[in-house]
Amino acid sequence: MKRALPFIIILVVLVSASAVAWSLKESATNDPPTPTPTVAPSNSASPAAPTRSVPPGAEPPNAIGPATAPVTLEEFGDFQCPPCGLLHPVLKKMEQEFGDRVRVIFREYPLVPTHKHALHAARAAEAAGLQGKFFQMHDMIFENQKAWDKAFDARLIFEDYAQKIGLDMEKYRKDVTSQAVEQRIFLDGKRAHALGVQGTPTVFINGREIPFQSLEPGKLRALISNELAAAGY
Amino acid sequence: MNSQPPATDGLDPRTNRRRAILYGLAAVVSLIGLGDSIYLAVEHMAGRSVRCTIVHGCSAVLSSPYASFRGIPLALIGAGAYFTVFSLATLAAFEYKFAARLLVFVVAGMLLVTLWLLYLQAFVIEAFCQFCLLSALVTLALTVIVFVARRSSVREL
Repeated sequence: MKRALPFIIILVVLVSASAVAWSLKESATNDPPTPTPTVAPSNSASPAAPTRSVPPGAEPPNAIGPATAPVTLEEFGDFQCPPCGLLHPVLKKMEQEFGDRVRVIFREYPLVPTHKHALHAARAAEAAGLQGKFFQMHDMIFENQKAWDKAFDARLIFEDYAQKIGLDMEKYRKDVTSQAVEQRIFLDGKRAHALGVQGTPTVFINGREIPFQSLEPGKLRALISNELAAAGY
Repeated sequence: MNSQPPATDGLDPRTNRRRAILYGLAAVVSLIGLGDSIYLAVEHMAGRSVRCTIVHGCSAVLSSPYASFRGIPLALIGAGAYFTVFSLATLAAFEYKFAARLLVFVVAGMLLVTLWLLYLQAFVIEAFCQFCLLSALVTLALTVIVFVARRSSVREL
């Protein structure tokens, strides 16, 4: 019996570890809310979230591309989130490749308090948006994410960016703490919440959530092409 | 499985007992690493924790290209390594000599990989993930325990 005991212990641990892994996997699969049953293949977008009672978010949205574009990518992002920073060049690439056939919307979803500068970054971008330069600021913030990420107070760095992109600084300083900016962030957050956004980045293509694993150039390109083909482009 | 009978070595029973306790401790410690790695591997494969949801550092580390080796999540390889350590340590605690010898090589390999991963986190990714740090701590603890256990065996022989 003594000779067999260690092997029995090892077997018990192996079975227990497999059971734990399986239950963790199940909970990971079940955690994100799925408004409608998922029937799409893994590399395609999930079925559309129900549109009823989903608020529109800040209006007008921060968007690149015409409102009539057959494909709309709506990103819920956090400027301090590293994967959002990694997604930034990918979406830029898609914008360049598909031009007017794709509209890209950026929605604010700062993960507070996990990311201490995220809300300041969102405010800075929205304040720039009030002067028609949202995406210049958006690009500046993402492209320099590592430069301000660990700063004690990133607001001064964002001010510097505002100056660099040629904003009216007096207006910027007023807007950055304004109710209008707060309201836009709040409205985007309400939309994110209603859509069941669990983290960032979360991207919807024509209203359907794209699995996080598909947010890389190859898969994203294929998804956009499929949508274009379905729209007769 | 090896049918080698448990070795008694003809050593002082107190030494054998001490060794058994140390290897038992190594087995228990490796379970912490196993749990940590399983959690990370499942999160990685679910594509969940690489998004920003809870921990900033973990998102950066787990979304980096270093989180996988040839498409296999590093955490999954880690889980396999910890299970191997658990198995060998358990066998060693029951006086299977081959297991005690093999354990030294496995733990030494894990220590080297751990040091490399700590370097990557500190100087390349520039972010630390607390689950990865826990794993590093477990490997360091295993190294110390196995070293002490081996030293006591060698000294007595």
